[in-house]
Amino acid sequence: MSSVTMAKAINTSLRDALRKNPKTLIFGEDVGPLGGVFRITDGLQKEFGEDRVFDTPLAESAIIGISVGLALKGFRPVPEIQFDGFIYPAFDQIVSHVAKYRNRSGVPLPITIRVPFGGNIGAVEHHSESPEAYFAHTAGLKVVTPATPGDAYGLLQSAIEDDDPVVFFEPKSRYYLKEEIDLPSAAVPIGKAKISREGSQVSVIAYGPTVETALQAARSAEQEGISLEVIDLRSLSPLDTETVLASVRKTHRAVVVHEAPVFGGFGAEIAARISHDAFDVLEAPVARVAGLNIPYPPARFEKLYLPDADRILQAVDAALAYG
Amino acid sequence: MAVLTMRDALNQALREEMNRDETVFLLGEDIGLYDGSFKVTRGLMKEFGEKRVLDTPIAEEVIIGTAIGAAMSGLRPVAEMMTVNFILVAMDQVVNAAAHIRYMFGGGSKVPLVIRTPGGGGHQLGAQHSHSHENWFAHVPGLKVVAPGTPGDAKGMLKSAIRDDNPVMFIENEGTYAIKGEVPDGEHLVPLDKNDVKRQGDDVTICAHSRMLIVATEAAKELEQQGISAEIVDLRALRPLDMAPVIESVKKTGHAITLEEGWRSYGVGAEVASRIYEEAFDYLDAPVARIGAAEVPTPYNKRLERIAFPGKADVVVTARALLGKN
Repeated sequence: MSSVTMAKAINTSLRDALRKNPKTLIFGEDVGPLGGVFRITDGLQKEFGEDRVFDTPLAESAIIGISVGLALKGFRPVPEIQFDGFIYPAFDQIVSHVAKYRNRSGVPLPITIRVPFGGNIGAVEHHSESPEAYFAHTAGLKVVTPATPGDAYGLLQSAIEDDDPVVFFEPKSRYYLKEEIDLPSAAVPIGKAKISREGSQVSVIAYGPTVETALQAARSAEQEGISLEVIDLRSLSPLDTETVLASVRKTHRAVVVHEAPVFGGFGAEIAARISHDAFDVLEAPVARVAGLNIPYPPARFEKLYLPDADRILQAVDAALAYG
Repeated sequence: MAVLTMRDALNQALREEMNRDETVFLLGEDIGLYDGSFKVTRGLMKEFGEKRVLDTPIAEEVIIGTAIGAAMSGLRPVAEMMTVNFILVAMDQVVNAAAHIRYMFGGGSKVPLVIRTPGGGGHQLGAQHSHSHENWFAHVPGLKVVAPGTPGDAKGMLKSAIRDDNPVMFIENEGTYAIKGEVPDGEHLVPLDKNDVKRQGDDVTICAHSRMLIVATEAAKELEQQGISAEIVDLRALRPLDMAPVIESVKKTGHAITLEEGWRSYGVGAEVASRIYEEAFDYLDAPVARIGAAEVPTPYNKRLERIAFPGKADVVVTARALLGKN
């Protein structure tokens, strides 16, 4: 076992995918000689050559468009969208083409779109967004996001091996989070959440960057004698409702956490499902702790915007006091 | 008060605003010489000339980009996207530019822009012409999103949208252009942030917007014959979402259904249901039921398409189940 960062785990996962299958291709803005702005593709062009790991123009629509063509010709493209906020120019390719191909034409489309997402890195506008709700809402796409290095390795393997398109959101503020693991680590199936920490009083449901925030809240709560169960969704679509419901049936209270603005966000679906399916056991309304309803703010103010352990604990207190 | 179709009510709103304010102008694909794909802009190019009604190339990103620039320079553009499906090509302009500019420049610049676009399906136009994406825009801070379902509201909200200093997504529906309703003459303004009870009832609250208002009304009539009294709340104001009439209604009925034409997962109903639980938790006698489209790209096949969209029977069965009457 060694201490592995999420960045290293994703890099290794990409390398292993390139080794396993000669049809795997990696491309995007600056992924070649530079190794990506976050160094996630570091060394891959050197090892696998310019035909399999290559730089593209700054044209996200084209990056996804050529992925569609390559996938139809038998390749397994793994395009990178450099930052979350840059995905909008490719929206039509992803929603109108990538997501619809199998249903319209009956052919598989094995594309994994990697997208570093989320804030908390002091970036300028368009570099800290959390656009996951749009894609989770789009029938025909799978959407996943890891919270730990081991899951990052395993989920990415599953995504690249999947015959359907997967949007793979990487929590960029957690690229340097470490875990003691051996690589290659175990495969992680798409569609399975996990309990990151067991607890009995309130279920805290998080994914990607906010799992670590939820764990911080759980450690603080423990000191006050409050037991939080932390669920890492890992897969946003398909969603593992069973794991969530099993936890809520035990705790009777739930808090959902994400960085995207709360209104119309992913948490609304989770809260609606829990409330519907566990209606008779809920002791308090499901709380949503999320980004504020404003465009992502300048870096100086992002701490005020992002959900932190204190805001989670306030929601926990309110849930426990309800009634 | 005149009885007009939805398309004529929208046309009237555009004409009145163009007469009132010379900075208002229209741009979009085929809106001029051809009068618009759904004839909403009929006669306007002839009346106002080619400088105020512009036919554009088939390039949605350019249409919105141009409109944003014009809006920042003091004009009031009303851009038409032929269907909401095509706006995905312009998503970057809508989200990263239109919605964010006022914030990014600290209020130093504003974007008084209206984007008119129809969603909805049911006409065998296939997977890339039949979707409803209003929930995506409703998730974006910096935008206002409205989706009227009656000709009167359509006229009044379009006039308010054109006068608003923020970007407004004005969502129409291909299946409602021909419906008729009473439309007040002249100065008729409907606020962009007020939802409205369209039908009074006691047993169950149905929240719907746009074409689903028609489906909800048909269902309410059938339920009435079965002794169930349904209240319909029109969610014409989606962002900012006016929850007050919803909550007031649910406190009375204890039962709620959300009904939308788009996909259910992560849709409008998810937000509305969550808010009902947050604000009326103790009043609910049953979980909120959510009805939406089948979660597939819209099928072309006529029968499959019909089953893919919510209909009257779905609402009736759901309401009966909520009330324990199935």
